[in-house]
Amino acid sequence: MSAHIKLGRYKSTAKWAALAGSALLALAAGLYFGLEGPQNSAAPLMGLTLPDVDGKDQRLDQWKGKVLVVNFWATWCEPCRKEMPEFVKAQARFSGKGLQFVGIAIDQPDKIRQFARELNLNYPSLVGGYGALELSKGLGNRVMALPFTVIVNRNGEIAYTQMGPLNSVKLDLILTELISNAT
Amino acid sequence: MLCAGPLAVLAADVNLLPPEQAFRFSARALDARTLEARFAIADGYYLYRDKLKFAVTPEAAILGSPDLPAGKVKTDEFFGKVETYRGTLVVKLPVSGVAAGQTVVLAADSQGCADVGVCYPPTRQKLTLALPAPGSGPGTLVDATPPKKTWFK
Repeated sequence: MSAHIKLGRYKSTAKWAALAGSALLALAAGLYFGLEGPQNSAAPLMGLTLPDVDGKDQRLDQWKGKVLVVNFWATWCEPCRKEMPEFVKAQARFSGKGLQFVGIAIDQPDKIRQFARELNLNYPSLVGGYGALELSKGLGNRVMALPFTVIVNRNGEIAYTQMGPLNSVKLDLILTELISNAT
Repeated sequence: MLCAGPLAVLAADVNLLPPEQAFRFSARALDARTLEARFAIADGYYLYRDKLKFAVTPEAAILGSPDLPAGKVKTDEFFGKVETYRGTLVVKLPVSGVAAGQTVVLAADSQGCADVGVCYPPTRQKLTLALPAPGSGPGTLVDATPPKKTWFK
């Protein structure tokens, strides 16, 4: 009997755990896909001007109206380098559909250039510094680590942020959805 | 199944330590000519050997080459062979140009990563040590004062 009660309680606990799990899932999804609200405005990011590897200033708002993936990275960050081939593939696949990747490298221009060449990087990488990392903190990069990725929808709202590497299947799902949501 | 990735990363993000906690820097003066720097590296984090740099002030103080232990060698696709440290790292640093009883500021630049797949920019941590008088034994272990970060230019 006691064993039965225990089992029952366990079941009930498991049920609650499952419910709590679903709630967490919903919460996580809400956090990640929080598409509404002015707090999701990518304006501070889009207002950024950073030099490219040739020293020429580039404004992020030149890609306004596109689905924009901004990836903070560095050559000294191995997990950053490991995920970038997936970004190259995605850029190639969706470039005709209004997708633009932009790297912000917390690094030296010659190192960025060297790695970009090795990878056949098909999107620009701008040169960031302290200011760029501080800005990423405001976007959710609490400990200012890399990689950190922000996906901006066509309306200039932050649709997704990712601390650490982006799962390639997840990336594909998000991009497919955001690209099909024409404004 | 698709949820496993992002949820795992979400959890990782919640738990990610700031670099000064992931790589806790402390030091003591063993005698008037030798400093001992320590990094307490949290589980699941590692430091790069070739990114460790030390400096002392005042200007008259001169730091010799750090006695860095061998790290764990791994091959990095971009940088070639790199060595990493985990756990507790102890580094002896010869110091000259300052007398017993004087204080020095020891700065350590380090750079490391977490196994969950993120890396921290180079971080500078500092502390102040008093050099012990001859025969008085090692000084007490001093923790780093609030951190200052440095970035590549």
